[in-house]
Amino acid sequence: MARKTSIRPLLIFGLVLLIAGMMSAQQTFNTTVYFDYTSYLSQYGPVTSVPKDNFFAFRRAYFTYENKISDNLKFRFRYDADNTANLTSVDIKTGSAKKDDKLRPFIKHLYFDYAGLLPNSSLKIGMTPTLTFESAEARWGYRSVAKTLVDGYKDITGVEIDASSADIGANLTGSLAKYVRYGVMFYNGAGYSHAESDKYKKIAGNIQLIPAAGLSVVGYMDYEKQDKDNSATTYKLDGYLEMVQNLTIGAEYFVYQNDKNLIATKERYDVSGLSIFGRYIFNPDVFSLFARFDRYEPNNKVSGDEMSLVIAGLDWAPFHKSMKLQPNIGFMSYADSAKKNDVVLNLTFFLSF
Amino acid sequence: MKKRIAAITLGLASVALVLVAMPAQKKMLQVKGSDTMVNLVQILAEEYMAKNPGTALAVLGGGSGTGITAIINQTCDIANHSREWKQKEIDLAWEKGVKPRFFVIAVDGLSIIVHESNPLEKLTMEELGAIYRGEIKNWKMVGGPDKAVSLYGRQSNSGTYVFMQEHVLNNKNYSTDMKEMNGNAQIIEGIVQDEGGIGYVGVGYLYDKEGKIRKGLKILNIAKDAKSQAYSPLDKAAVDSGNYPVARPLYQATKGRPDVAAASFIAFETGPEGQKIVEREGFFTIGGKDKEQNDKNLI
Repeated sequence: MARKTSIRPLLIFGLVLLIAGMMSAQQTFNTTVYFDYTSYLSQYGPVTSVPKDNFFAFRRAYFTYENKISDNLKFRFRYDADNTANLTSVDIKTGSAKKDDKLRPFIKHLYFDYAGLLPNSSLKIGMTPTLTFESAEARWGYRSVAKTLVDGYKDITGVEIDASSADIGANLTGSLAKYVRYGVMFYNGAGYSHAESDKYKKIAGNIQLIPAAGLSVVGYMDYEKQDKDNSATTYKLDGYLEMVQNLTIGAEYFVYQNDKNLIATKERYDVSGLSIFGRYIFNPDVFSLFARFDRYEPNNKVSGDEMSLVIAGLDWAPFHKSMKLQPNIGFMSYADSAKKNDVVLNLTFFLSF
Repeated sequence: MKKRIAAITLGLASVALVLVAMPAQKKMLQVKGSDTMVNLVQILAEEYMAKNPGTALAVLGGGSGTGITAIINQTCDIANHSREWKQKEIDLAWEKGVKPRFFVIAVDGLSIIVHESNPLEKLTMEELGAIYRGEIKNWKMVGGPDKAVSLYGRQSNSGTYVFMQEHVLNNKNYSTDMKEMNGNAQIIEGIVQDEGGIGYVGVGYLYDKEGKIRKGLKILNIAKDAKSQAYSPLDKAAVDSGNYPVARPLYQATKGRPDVAAASFIAFETGPEGQKIVEREGFFTIGGKDKEQNDKNLI
């Protein structure tokens, strides 16, 4: 219900912007869809808890509308759709509530982007991308295969780490000479899928240093009070190496601390993770290889709950860059000796037009 | 189970190896960017391929911004751009480990065109800027007929759009009344049918297939200021000397030192054979200083 309440005014706002935008010339429409044929090659860990071992599934469908209103001002409106966005519907005959698995759209981005506030800066206001993992997503480049570290394990571990890819607020990014980039954001902290539920707001900032061409180090931190006595903080450090043509190597490390995350002895537990990834472009827009290793610690006060992921695959556009095949295989292993490894084979179809 | 996993992994690795080998055999030089340059570079590429059997080039437009972005993202081999790189593009290239090298392959006298029925013969740079900023809305304000000015320009990812904005509009915004067209040809089509129209196009687009100025167009002479003489973009001496004030170099950029295939094509373009084609297509040839710098950047 909270989702419904928060989306209605945004939807109206979005439609107004859309109509206004259609009267201007600098408009682009883009659709990106990805879906998988998934085959579980093992049946042991939490990843493979579903009672089926091979199936087709749509995961995401994006529709993006952008309008450049002037040289300094543009706006973006993006619908996203996945089947976790289901609203509960009512069966009229029985009067009962039931849920289905249809892909349903929701608003992911809805913001103005103003470039004139400071030199070489961009101020976004509205439902904007957050700073948390935007740079890592850009380097990894395969959200269609797996979300990046901070975003990717919430569903698997069940440990909420309060990090969303988009939220309502104001986001200022820019560069200071070619060696330094910065970003600050002030926002609800509830994420794009929930209405704000408290009076506290989240503040985030990052700084990216580029001491040599193709070498970047990014420090990130966010903070939000949870209630009168408790707060949550995320610390993150990324490194990217792009000094060799067509090769990208990246690493992310993060720690999430929330005073409300307590074990039985009332001690706070922290969530952390490390990810190392790489991709190599053999032929631009035609063929690339990628691989990634993650180590995830959902609770530092409990031993034996760590997990590791190794994923590797290829990105191939046999006919046109708009249609890519991304076959990939993932190995998930667990420190818990009671669990056996998961092996998942995905044939990911990536369409962009 | 282990055998099944091993077989699948081996299968994926084999497919990867085969696909890695395939693109290497069919490597095609990708050239992308400026719409002003696309026809010229396509003709250069065709003649280069005819003289060098076995070579393959694909030339696409999309605007200077598109080509520059493609070089930064390493999705093309050569970018065509009719403007210099912006600071944020240079910064982004640095971030992504791309150290671009630049080459001037031709010079363009950007031509200001009006409908053939317009009696006006010349404009100053100040008048031209004021027209495109929307400060002058009627031709009679610059000595023309009592007719509303109808503005035609390019879309904002065009290098020509940016060049005009920087050099003619003094970095101010275009009038919101300007019709943003997707190419030089569309601007010409608009002007031919609009008696109040004014537009800007690359000099190479002024000619028809027979090498004559297209029907329905008039090319205005442009003066640096009210005290200076006005010159035509068709006057090579005026463009070379800098007396024609809306002239610009046409560039290509590579992602670092060009590889053998890219270097060979650029050397052809900037050499005597390529420059003959440049001249034949209505653009102007490069000077000795640019040639010298090009040669340095090829090594």
